[in-house]
Amino acid sequence: MRPCVSSAGFSLAAILLATAGTAQSVDYAALQATMGEPVTTSVTGKPQRASETPASIEIITRDQIERSPAHDVPGLLKTYAGVDVNRWLAGQTDVAVRGGVQTYNPRLLVLVNGRQVYLDHYGMTDWNLLGVQLEEIQQIELVRGPATALFGFNAASAVINIITVSATQASSLVTAGEIGTHGYSRLSAVTTLPIGHNVGLRLSAGHQRENERGFPANQASPSDKSGVKRDEVDATLEASPGARTHLTINGGYSTNHQLELLPTQVPTRQDYEAMVGGVRADRDTDWGSVTGGVYANWLDVHFGAVHSGATNFDAEQLKNRIVVADASALVRLGLNNVLRIGAEYRNNRLEGEALFTPRVHYGVWSGSAMLDLHPTDKLALTFAGRLDHFSLGTGGAIRLPAANEVSDYDRKFTRPSFNAAALLQLGGAGQIRINGGLGYQIPSLIDFGVRIPIIPLVPIPGVPTILLTGAPDLRPVAVWSGEIGYTKSLSDATKLDVTVFYSKTKNAIGSPGEALTVTPSFIGGFALVTRFANAGDFRTAGVELSLNGIVGPHLSWRTNYSFTDTQEHLQPIDVLALAPGTTTARHKANIELGYRQDRWFATTVLRYTSATHQLGDSAAGQVMLFKVEPALAWDQKIGVQLGRATLTLTGENVTGASGAAGSPIPADRRILAGVKFGL
Amino acid sequence: MLAVPTAAADLNLPVATRVVSFLQPTPEGVIPAAVIYEPGNAASEAEAASIEHAGTLVAGKGTLRLKRVPVGALGGLAGVRVAFVTSGLREAHAQIAAAASRQSILTITSDMSCVQAGHCAVAISSSPRVQITVSRSAAKAANVQFGSAFLMLVKEI
Repeated sequence: MRPCVSSAGFSLAAILLATAGTAQSVDYAALQATMGEPVTTSVTGKPQRASETPASIEIITRDQIERSPAHDVPGLLKTYAGVDVNRWLAGQTDVAVRGGVQTYNPRLLVLVNGRQVYLDHYGMTDWNLLGVQLEEIQQIELVRGPATALFGFNAASAVINIITVSATQASSLVTAGEIGTHGYSRLSAVTTLPIGHNVGLRLSAGHQRENERGFPANQASPSDKSGVKRDEVDATLEASPGARTHLTINGGYSTNHQLELLPTQVPTRQDYEAMVGGVRADRDTDWGSVTGGVYANWLDVHFGAVHSGATNFDAEQLKNRIVVADASALVRLGLNNVLRIGAEYRNNRLEGEALFTPRVHYGVWSGSAMLDLHPTDKLALTFAGRLDHFSLGTGGAIRLPAANEVSDYDRKFTRPSFNAAALLQLGGAGQIRINGGLGYQIPSLIDFGVRIPIIPLVPIPGVPTILLTGAPDLRPVAVWSGEIGYTKSLSDATKLDVTVFYSKTKNAIGSPGEALTVTPSFIGGFALVTRFANAGDFRTAGVELSLNGIVGPHLSWRTNYSFTDTQEHLQPIDVLALAPGTTTARHKANIELGYRQDRWFATTVLRYTSATHQLGDSAAGQVMLFKVEPALAWDQKIGVQLGRATLTLTGENVTGASGAAGSPIPADRRILAGVKFGL
Repeated sequence: MLAVPTAAADLNLPVATRVVSFLQPTPEGVIPAAVIYEPGNAASEAEAASIEHAGTLVAGKGTLRLKRVPVGALGGLAGVRVAFVTSGLREAHAQIAAAASRQSILTITSDMSCVQAGHCAVAISSSPRVQITVSRSAAKAANVQFGSAFLMLVKEI
């Protein structure tokens, strides 16, 4: 018997989030130009030069984005050490840092200007629902390792913070268009408009379409294979009503329609509609700065439509609303030390028919502190801690038969998280970085509260209702991590970074696998129940080696290698569908060469990924592991600037390596032509 | 007053100009600025000439309007908001600091000794990478304030 629904895919993880702890208004472009390197607040909450952060960090700059063959944010991330980017289908991509990648990947907190774009209903990121155009990104910050002490729940394995250009910059208009094979087309427009004195408005809009990839004969193939279609608009108003006060108001609306592999790998159709709105105020003081804000994200998703072979399931509508309010202060202590204190409240609510009650919700109260000390010029010490208090609840009448009593959902727990780091400057332009931390992923609202009757493919007389349900007693997923890094400038133009890391993920959450384990329930009737559950532990350990440099006035290069060993102690995949030990590539290597002269530029990227096995849904409807072949992929972009226009020609996976996407659905080769026009 | 030429590097003018944009409140429009130099001091004169010939200096929403001020005629600093202190003026640092304090002038130099002595507000070094040092006492004496984000990225002494 096999669950006949996408419901089987209502598995895995999710989280709730925490808000960004970024404090005060930071002019990233101006500070980068001044310091000669990017600046970030995503490591400790205080502004820091990229070379002085006590964590393993990558900052992808605006210039790198423009020259990269990548046409989206995951594509930009995939060439960096320790990053797994798996493009399961044309529109569905998951990003994982230091192993453990899965569909609907949790534990990676994704933010836009400190506002989460991570989706709490299922605990995942839809990279086509970011509401951001590439042309408005100032920089993309990737911080490896847990950052829960700063950002709260879900920043358990890494954080990605996408920073957009300031709305108060000079008047500008950038429009871009790309068209390519496989029905790919993308249009975007971004404008910044000064409005009066110290007030600026940034408007952006985008549209993208892309055909779905071809499904191999041995895997489940949905009858509806219509492609990706996304649209988005966003507006941001920035103002400085006083000499030391900065105000930001943001709102946006996005839609995305695409096929996705659920955590059980069942290919399903998802229709997302999202709205965001928020306001943030920053105030500089003589002793530091204070910041505060509130924002809300609304998500309306028609979820899990499956019309594939014997599986026939109409979409469930889920509505998720999250409200976050936070405040923090950065206090300069003495000459070069900083204390950060913060408080936050978030309220997260999921509504829909496929839940234990019409509404499942939780609230999280948080308090945090960070101390950044510089006892000498050569040594920096950072300590950060946070306490999150979680309370779960329900609303409305219980749906019967049920797997739990309402009182089971009256649950509270408190979790502490921390980061500690030391950064030691050595002679000869070298430095050693040691850090460790504990972060948490908490179960998603689906993990807690889903309730879906599973209909056997062949009705069996006398067999009672089988319910796929959440579990209110799920334990949060704890991620312990430590790393030692060594960075050295080998010359004025060449830099080396070596990092050794270890990470342990405890109580990973899995969805029911093929062999349904059921227990009887007599609450409001008789039913057999299969549940989300803590599947066990896994750990990753490895080495990341990065080297980059410049040769002469025209040529830049960057290369990295990652070795990741993943060991799991989990239940079998037919019990709980989770297999990080086989889905994580052991070896990855990237080489990027950039050339620029006068009006011309060219970027070549070579990516190697060793073989993996990824979970997939077979044509017979069985969840199993499919081999993904080792891949050497070649991406290429060539561009020329003609006046205010830039023309580009891009090839993705020119080598046609089937495993280049890291998906059981083979990757294809794509050619794109683009034009960008700026005023 | 005679100053001893030093081997201090020329001021990193692009960075020095950007530093001005982090002042609080943010200066806008035309920003009167001075290049303090010593006539007859080859190094100082060369640096002053280099600064003068750098072209339009845009500092955020403002533009610097430069003039030369000889170290022996600091009265010429009247009305100036920013002063670039050329190297080789060590013996005049105290007098420059006094003038800057009286007239609330931000002083910027490549001569670290001026900042270490608390006479100049900002020193900029460029090798092997940009390093900005701010003298809290000199900045306070000149009633100069920077944004907190900027101060968290520099070294304060």
